[in-house]
Amino acid sequence: MSRSTVNRVVLGLAGALLLVGGVLVLAGGLDLYGRLGVRMPTWWPLTSPDQPVLSDASRTRWSGEAWWWPVVFAVLGLTVALALWWLFAQVRRSGPSSVTLPVGGAGVTVRLRSRALADAVETETVALPDVTRVQARLTGRPKQLLLRAAVRLAPGGDPAGAVDDFLTGPLAHARTTLGQDDLPTDLRLRVTRAPAASRAPAPRRVL
Amino acid sequence: MTDDQIPPRVRRLRSNRTGWTGPVVVAALVLGGGLLYDAVAVRTGHRARPWRAETADRLATLHLDDPVVLISAGAAVLLGVLLLVLALTPGLRRWLLLRQPGAVIDRAGVAALVTRRAEQLDGVHSAGAKVRRGRTTVTFVGRVDPADVQRELRTELARVPLAGEHRLDVRTGKGRR
Repeated sequence: MSRSTVNRVVLGLAGALLLVGGVLVLAGGLDLYGRLGVRMPTWWPLTSPDQPVLSDASRTRWSGEAWWWPVVFAVLGLTVALALWWLFAQVRRSGPSSVTLPVGGAGVTVRLRSRALADAVETETVALPDVTRVQARLTGRPKQLLLRAAVRLAPGGDPAGAVDDFLTGPLAHARTTLGQDDLPTDLRLRVTRAPAASRAPAPRRVL
Repeated sequence: MTDDQIPPRVRRLRSNRTGWTGPVVVAALVLGGGLLYDAVAVRTGHRARPWRAETADRLATLHLDDPVVLISAGAAVLLGVLLLVLALTPGLRRWLLLRQPGAVIDRAGVAALVTRRAEQLDGVHSAGAKVRRGRTTVTFVGRVDPADVQRELRTELARVPLAGEHRLDVRTGKGRR
């Protein structure tokens, strides 16, 4: 499952739990069942406004059963374990600190700091026409790298030209360096707004 | 009908939603960890922590029509709806996909380009652009034929290699007093 799917499942579960719980409490507290004249089945929780939120009787209803404590420990333990797994997965996200280059002879491995590669991409990109700022990062897993670049263009810059220049210049060089012709890339382009003062002066209106 | 006759469907960017999932996971960890710790303590013959005893006591005394309970339930409903919306919507609305795979441009940037070009045209007094996913709407003030402005801005918009169809609407707005 992709990171996005995992996160969306977590958000959806938490949202559904909160929504169902909140609606049940509101329906009971505002006596919606009584006002609408609906008779709920006997097992339906929280039907009367005079009822406590969680009485001692309901809280300890199953605590004598043999299955109760194993289930409680399993659910709580699973929640804690999955939460910890998710948090550690975020720490690993920043990507490898260095990558192995496909050069060197027998017994020699050449490794390059990811930051150095990103710096090279930045230096080359900022020299392209129209580019005012750039930020590059090498992320992903060692086997599946991802180059992320955020590029800002000057007012009126040419996006099509900038993308083509980036693909044939800095990105092509990074791909050659890493020996990965299909290195996945995220390129985020922004264009600066022209400051109001430097805009073309409006022609005088002739009446 | 072969595949290349169907116009390619432009997929949408989907946010990873990490920023929103983080607090939810931390809340689950704190709540689950606290309860687990206390359940283990109780099962191994220790007393329940004061916080859990107090919480259980409050939950057993507060009635459902208590304002505190109703307000908390309302807040839970709102938060639940927010989280469900976040789980189901794609997000990353400010980025538009470009034709080159992996490349995106921000909508405000496209708007800035189109606005700048429109304001350079002779006879255009002022202009504003609203860029949506499949359509850009430009409103300008000036004594020019909208069709001419449309033609100029069409070439400006063509400099942005947007993926998929993108419409351009040009209309005249009311002049400022």
